[in-house]
Amino acid sequence: MFKNQIFAITVGLVVIITSIPLFAQEEMTAEDIIRNMTETLNPEQSEGKMKMTITTTSGDERTFVYHTFAKGGGEKSLMKYLEPSRIKGQTILMLNDGDDIWTYFPKKNHVRKLATHAKKQKVEGSDFSYEDMGGSNTFTEEYSSMRLKDENKEGYTCYKLELYRKPDSDAGYSRLIIWVDIETLVPIVIDYFHEDDPELREKQLILRDIQLIDDIHTPTQYTMYNKLDDTKTHMEIIEVNYNVDLPDELFTEEGMKQ
Amino acid sequence: MKKISLPLLGFWILGCGIFILANGQVEIYGYFEPQYSGIYLDSTYYQSSYGKLRVDLSSTDIKNVRFGADIIYLNYFGKKTWDILEFLPDSIRNAIPPYQQRFYQFSFKDTLYLDNAFVRLHVRRLALMIGKQQISFGTGYFSNPTDVFNTKDALDPNYEQPGHNALRLEFYPIPRLNITALLSPIASDWENSGKLGRVKIGLGHFDISVLGYQFKQTSTDFYTFQQTVEERIIVGGDIVGELLGLGVWGEGIYNIAEISDSTSYELLVGGDYTFEGGLYTMVEYHRNSSAKDDHQNYDLNDWMRYITGESKTIAQDQIYGLIQFPLTDYVTIGSMGIFSITDQGAAIIPMVNYSMYENVDITLMLNLYLGSEGSAFSNTLGTGGFIRATVYF
Repeated sequence: MFKNQIFAITVGLVVIITSIPLFAQEEMTAEDIIRNMTETLNPEQSEGKMKMTITTTSGDERTFVYHTFAKGGGEKSLMKYLEPSRIKGQTILMLNDGDDIWTYFPKKNHVRKLATHAKKQKVEGSDFSYEDMGGSNTFTEEYSSMRLKDENKEGYTCYKLELYRKPDSDAGYSRLIIWVDIETLVPIVIDYFHEDDPELREKQLILRDIQLIDDIHTPTQYTMYNKLDDTKTHMEIIEVNYNVDLPDELFTEEGMKQ
Repeated sequence: MKKISLPLLGFWILGCGIFILANGQVEIYGYFEPQYSGIYLDSTYYQSSYGKLRVDLSSTDIKNVRFGADIIYLNYFGKKTWDILEFLPDSIRNAIPPYQQRFYQFSFKDTLYLDNAFVRLHVRRLALMIGKQQISFGTGYFSNPTDVFNTKDALDPNYEQPGHNALRLEFYPIPRLNITALLSPIASDWENSGKLGRVKIGLGHFDISVLGYQFKQTSTDFYTFQQTVEERIIVGGDIVGELLGLGVWGEGIYNIAEISDSTSYELLVGGDYTFEGGLYTMVEYHRNSSAKDDHQNYDLNDWMRYITGESKTIAQDQIYGLIQFPLTDYVTIGSMGIFSITDQGAAIIPMVNYSMYENVDITLMLNLYLGSEGSAFSNTLGTGGFIRATVYF
């Protein structure tokens, strides 16, 4: 009898304890998941070096290497090209989550502010637009989200979310579908749908090789597939450091010129 | 100006290069750029070309210090000597006495020169830049009224500009506020040197700047080839931002001449938009009140000052346009257009840019002039163009 009670209590505790996270996960709304995912992808501060490889329809490849800095959970970011020599020293500064963009051309020592429509332009001919590269709050500010049935994707158990562009938003995509790894809250796949056609999948971003760096789950390989042009752009983190103290002056016109 | 011996300059550069390389502190990069130009003029096809080698050196090894320099070697071939009078209206050309006409010829000569060489020291919110450096002000694409240091070629406005000797102090007290003081020591004394002050501030989605510049301006009388130096003060500013989804910008100056007591103003406004698919469009309007409002009154000085870059335009009112489309991943096609409201002259400049390899660009541009004789873009200027390859290393 006593043994049975102990067994029953033990089983009950195990069930309760093991069901807490599942229960909590079930309770997570789409907004909660997006917020957590955004925080995971955009640590308070970071400095890194990235390699971007563009593959065209003909199979040709172009490679770029750049130095990146970010602060305020991605609210401010700066990227300076290191290679190739054609664009060496060119710098892009994004403030206010990518709402304000400046470019610096070292050969002319000239800083130019870009209008929002330039966010639709490809970054150095890649499959990433300025909009894709910046804007840590884009998912929450520009889109309303809903949670769909969880799915397995690319070998991960994922939350599946559907995001629709808000009526007053000028975001470059009408709809997004995001698969977020339940364990790390890192997005695994993002489908981007055409600005004017919510059924036309324009791009797909796949994130791979998640590593724990400075206690932050970090996807170190990003591949953006352009489904309309049949091209792809691969980005690889060569090095990244989250334990940095970046001065605010870095994210200014002066910072671009340094 | 004292001339620098080319062999001496070469040895000096070589010495600096060996020292720097030996210390492993400096990055070396640059480009080689051959350009073939052709023009069909008066039933004759002329070709005039060059090969340009630019070598850049830069170093950031010392904390808070950046050193940068570049050396350019230009080698011309094909037709090197040109008679400017061939391009001017008959009425002006015929008024020049025959014995004087040789003065309007010029020749391209092979040159080696130091284009930029500067040191930039920066400590948190303060930066000091000393030496021959790029000075680039203004928000306009085809022309920059606030930039008195450079005159853009409206037919190739994106091409790099030469460096200028200056001492520039920049102060960044708060984010998006930049105060610049610049001394351009072109003369031997303080009095005759150019002095510029500029404040640039970010307000919302706009960047706004105001500037004042006191300098000595040299103007040439091309009838007598006498030069006049006159003190001028310009005040002006520029703005760039966004309105109703369009990129918008503008810049203007008010120019006051001390001796002649003449005043003029220059104004440029523009806007751009990128459509879905990457189609980029831009338009600018440019007014230069110092230019003439009737092309019948353009004289030799107007033409020569425009051709030599002493004045930014010959016509008082112009409209510029640019359209570009990424045809493939590596090929961009487009066209620039310039229309002179003052004299109804126009130029169309179709262009193709092909990124052949990672560090090889090919640019093709044609110049088609459609105006009647005497207008700023007269068809008597000939039909031509160029093909330019730029190989970066």
